[in-house]
Amino acid sequence: MDMSSSYQRVPSVRIREMKDDFLKFELRDTDASIANALRRIMIAEVPTLAIDLVEIEANSSVLNDEFIAHRLGLIPLKSEKAVNMLLSRDCNACDGDGRCDFCSVEFTLDVKCTTDQTLDVTSQDLRSSDLSVVPVDSLGQNTGSMGDAALEQRGILIVKLRRGQELKLRAIARKGIGKDHAKWSPAATVTFQYEPEIHLNETLLETLTLDQKREWVESSPTKVFDIDQVTQQVVVVDPEAYAYDEEVIKKADAMGKPGLVEIISREDSFIFTVESTGAIKAADMFLNAINILRQKLDGVRLSFDTQEADDQFGELGAHMRGGL
Amino acid sequence: MNAPDRYERFVVPEGMKKVTYERDMKIMNAGTFTAQREDHTVGNVIRMQLHRDRSVLFAGYKLPHPLEYKIIVKIQTTSQSSPMQAYNLALNDLDKELEHLKRAFEAEISHKQNEYY
Ligand SMILES: [Zn+2]
Repeated sequence: MDMSSSYQRVPSVRIREMKDDFLKFELRDTDASIANALRRIMIAEVPTLAIDLVEIEANSSVLNDEFIAHRLGLIPLKSEKAVNMLLSRDCNACDGDGRCDFCSVEFTLDVKCTTDQTLDVTSQDLRSSDLSVVPVDSLGQNTGSMGDAALEQRGILIVKLRRGQELKLRAIARKGIGKDHAKWSPAATVTFQYEPEIHLNETLLETLTLDQKREWVESSPTKVFDIDQVTQQVVVVDPEAYAYDEEVIKKADAMGKPGLVEIISREDSFIFTVESTGAIKAADMFLNAINILRQKLDGVRLSFDTQEADDQFGELGAHMRGGL
Repeated sequence: MNAPDRYERFVVPEGMKKVTYERDMKIMNAGTFTAQREDHTVGNVIRMQLHRDRSVLFAGYKLPHPLEYKIIVKIQTTSQSSPMQAYNLALNDLDKELEHLKRAFEAEISHKQNEYY
């Protein structure tokens, strides 16, 4: 038996754009199963913190208690420390009902409307027991809108109160994953696409008149091709805009010029787009997903006793076959 | 309500083994692995990696039912290998690939940050 055999791939990455809540990168030299596993994990298995237990002390608002509890759960919380926290199910330090640094973060909210002006209760009214775990919006991290007075940060609306109404509660945020409830998913969107490779047949293209070229270029629903103003040649301007609709191929056939273009999707190269809710950085979502996939694969390794039991079984079988 | 608890999907119940293996009684070098509380994420990755192994004659996986939280992986190999050996090799290769990917991504991040700052 060849013990040195290995079928390991050596993937590579190139980041195109990176912001806290947005990431676009190329992943090469691997296959769709790895790309898809990482995508699925970013959506459903990268842990974050979300409000999971709410004790309402007073609620005279128009929304009922469970409606408000649900809305609180959906507020994304800064969850950088989630990876180092315990799931309250696995926490031995407490009975899981809060006030435990290992598995939970406590929030309080106490708002009363005393004027004739409608009062908005928002995520900014939540007081956290841990300064690193706060609703995403209250950090004012939308640097793009900084300095724009009209777009002042007002937090995520929870409920509106009129004069005399109040809302007072205690909430416990816990660690969890999107597989349990979507409120724990750090992903706004995670997608990947195959990288298209577009080859134009220059010789065949030169048999077209300028009007025919224009007609062919315009047959694509997305702007993949254009005509160079100077040389009047068809050029590929944005291969990734191609939606695998095959319209240009059909058009070439209809014009009596089959083979004008050849489009293949490279099945070992992917373009990923990751958008975060703000709970954790987009780049960390991907790194966490890699770690989680490794842990998952390690978790499905055969235990020693399972392997040994099968070895004995094999020997028994060989013995019986030999004995007959 | 008789809906199963949501955590049933990813928490292995006490006393249940995460992975079991059963030899095929009729075919040489064939067997079935059952992994509890796993789904397409892991099943598909293992299957595709097994397909790269030249000593693997067959590798397939299924998620038998959406409310049975387990996957089944069937493997048949040539006499040069065994289902267990192929399974272990696939897991080792995947781990090495992901370790490499992690390093490559981290290097790319620091490269990208140096561009900005
Ligand atoms: Zn605890």
